[in-house]
Amino acid sequence: MARQQGWFALILALAIAAGALLVSFPLQLGLDLRGGSQLTLQVLPAGSIRSVQKEQLEAVKDVLERRINGLGVAESTLQTVGDDQLVLQLPGEQDPSRAAKVLGTTALLEFRAQRPGTEQEMTGLLKLKRQAQAVLNQSQVKAAAIANGQPVPPAVSIKAEELAEALTQLGISVPPGSSETEQLELLLSTVNTKIVALYDPAELTGKDLTSAGRQQQQTGTGWEVTLAFNSEGGKKFAELTKGIAGTSRLLGIVLDGRSISEATVGPEFKPAGISGGAASITGNFTADEARDLEVQLRGGSLPLPVKLIEVRTVGPSLGAENIRSSLIAALSGLALVAVFMVVVYRLPGVVSVLALSLYSLFNLAVYALIPVTLSLPGIAGFILSIGMAVDANVLIFERVKEELRSGNTLIRSIDTGFSLAFSSILDGHVTGLISCAALFALGTGLVKGFAVTLAIGLLLSLFTALTCTRTLLRLLMSYPGLRRSTYFLPAAQLPASAS
Amino acid sequence: MSSTPSIAPAPRFRISRHRILAWWGSGLACLLSLIGLLLCWFNPAIGAPLRPGLDFTGGTQIQLERACGVSCSALSSAQIQQPVARLQLPAEPGTPAPNLASAAVQVLDQGRSLVLRLPAVNPEQAAAVVAAVREVAGPLNASGTSVDTIGPTLGDQLLKGSLLSLLVSFAAIALYITFRYDRIFAGLALLCLAHDVLITCGVFAWLGLLSGIEVDSLFAVSLITVAGYSVTDTVVVFDRIREQKTLLAGLPMSEQVDVAVDATLTRSLYTSLTTLLPLVALIFFGGSTLFWFAVALTVGIAVGSWSSIGIAPTLLPLFSRR
Repeated sequence: MARQQGWFALILALAIAAGALLVSFPLQLGLDLRGGSQLTLQVLPAGSIRSVQKEQLEAVKDVLERRINGLGVAESTLQTVGDDQLVLQLPGEQDPSRAAKVLGTTALLEFRAQRPGTEQEMTGLLKLKRQAQAVLNQSQVKAAAIANGQPVPPAVSIKAEELAEALTQLGISVPPGSSETEQLELLLSTVNTKIVALYDPAELTGKDLTSAGRQQQQTGTGWEVTLAFNSEGGKKFAELTKGIAGTSRLLGIVLDGRSISEATVGPEFKPAGISGGAASITGNFTADEARDLEVQLRGGSLPLPVKLIEVRTVGPSLGAENIRSSLIAALSGLALVAVFMVVVYRLPGVVSVLALSLYSLFNLAVYALIPVTLSLPGIAGFILSIGMAVDANVLIFERVKEELRSGNTLIRSIDTGFSLAFSSILDGHVTGLISCAALFALGTGLVKGFAVTLAIGLLLSLFTALTCTRTLLRLLMSYPGLRRSTYFLPAAQLPASAS
Repeated sequence: MSSTPSIAPAPRFRISRHRILAWWGSGLACLLSLIGLLLCWFNPAIGAPLRPGLDFTGGTQIQLERACGVSCSALSSAQIQQPVARLQLPAEPGTPAPNLASAAVQVLDQGRSLVLRLPAVNPEQAAAVVAAVREVAGPLNASGTSVDTIGPTLGDQLLKGSLLSLLVSFAAIALYITFRYDRIFAGLALLCLAHDVLITCGVFAWLGLLSGIEVDSLFAVSLITVAGYSVTDTVVVFDRIREQKTLLAGLPMSEQVDVAVDATLTRSLYTSLTTLLPLVALIFFGGSTLFWFAVALTVGIAVGSWSSIGIAPTLLPLFSRR
């Protein structure tokens, strides 16, 4: 009996610890239960890198983390999943488009000098660029002028034939039925890529940046992004500007392979270049664009490109609805099972209901401890593992009944019941755990959540069925008043000798 | 009772006497399932053994709730489909904007909620679609909106991952049973498992054919769970047969099987019942997200319980070395 009491004390201590854990570490709810956005990004191999390595994935994660922090979203989490994926969770966020935009770009910033002998081609491209930009930006310029109380500038337009000629000249085939705005945007992006082809390879990149900021342009309506270099970057920048100072060649600022700004360097910088390690990008940005660019530059460029492969957004009221319905389902399922057990198994049925309540408590405590983020499939896994836990009890009690029917004493029947049921309980749980391992190793997202909760459930069920149920039952049997076979089995089923 | 007292009472229920009936029943169910799967496969609108859902095909699903309660004006899906199809989406640099002409719209709950199925769009484009729908069906309840986008590569990954985990868990379970029992038991357990998974798939193939029910990654989860349950159920019976082997060595295999099935019958039925109780609760109260998941599990566990009583044990004498 001393051994039973020891076990009982242990179970009691565990129950108290589990309760305390649940109070101090609340359960983490998945986005499908609390509402919010979840974005899954795939890191793509590029250049000489054939497959994504662990360090590269971590490097991408670091950069993205800095960018997200720059966005100022509360309690976001970014986790690596598998070999080449990252999952960003934004609780409460209903519109993930801004996050998607900021995360998706590589933000490789390059400062490049124009190749000698390309001046004429550059002039043509820049003219087209300015024309297209002027038409595209005019609604914005107009709005800003009205807001500042300045006179509205005259409308800018581009002649249809001029546009058509420019497009054919650049070899752009226009999709049928596209609007003027779409054609202009197409033109602009092609021009920006063509300009990049006229530059020398980059000597100075975003790696040498120490900080980025933004301010309103002194002239015009847009915003500019300011940059500060480290000492090496400052040196490189001075070299770069020295080389082209006083010529008509340009200094290009290239972001992700598209030219965002071109600048001339005056002859006064011929001797030493632009020193001081600071520069600014004036690209006619809106306040939001400037902020996003600043965030991206500050976070650094991504070592590898990423692609958005999954976006899930759940409204908060849908989440609340999900919680409510799964709670009702879980509780009513448990209640039905409890009634069934007590009706069919009498006293041991009551014991198993106690053990199963402990089982549920331990389960939730483990979720809080690990921590497991509880999502809908996770809850389903939990509800199912209850089924397995009950099965273990059913197996044991059926065996106990059998032993009683064949005329064994009560205590002996209980002990034999437990030991005979053990092997099939073990086999059932092990095969269940094998399935969980396969699901966890090879499944994704939802499937993993299910596998984790089911596996925790199976392990705990082994413990509760073999320890809690047994200890509680043995403890009750130490009271002579409860030691009656009819508490286990209807009298009619007992052999005459035993009763 | 008197010949083998206390240890092996004469079975009240002899499964072997009904084995022909059991085999016919299961054979017929398997055949119907196969026909369903094949019909799905050759159906040009489906082209796969089961109707694949968003999780596997990739795309965007937008679920909207109208903020008009009971007084929602009647709305046809065409009323929403047309403006959405005409919509000019903001383009992403480098990729053409997706064509929305193939958008499918479902109106649910007497016009109170809408489900849109589109090709995969980015979040900005999804917001544009929601704005276009708001013009026609608004006002919308912002907190009841859900947008799911699955890229085509992820859908492919999910499908491969699900199939692979199914096969790997089958193989690992077979190995475990071979190690714990023997090859015949393992073979029969796998046969039962295939039987249960086939019939569950068959039911969903027919559901897909007749009422357009799609399978998602939760369905793959339910199949693997069914597989686990099926093996557990079968193992309990086999465990009993093995335990009695020396005791009943004189009896023919079919009688040994009868004794084991009879002894474990109550347990098998009670266990299925106690597992089905929470599942039934999930079906009735679990909400739409888990509804078909619970249905798949209910079918699978019911079938699994049947095969562990009626199929695996009755086939054992045929393969037994005696």
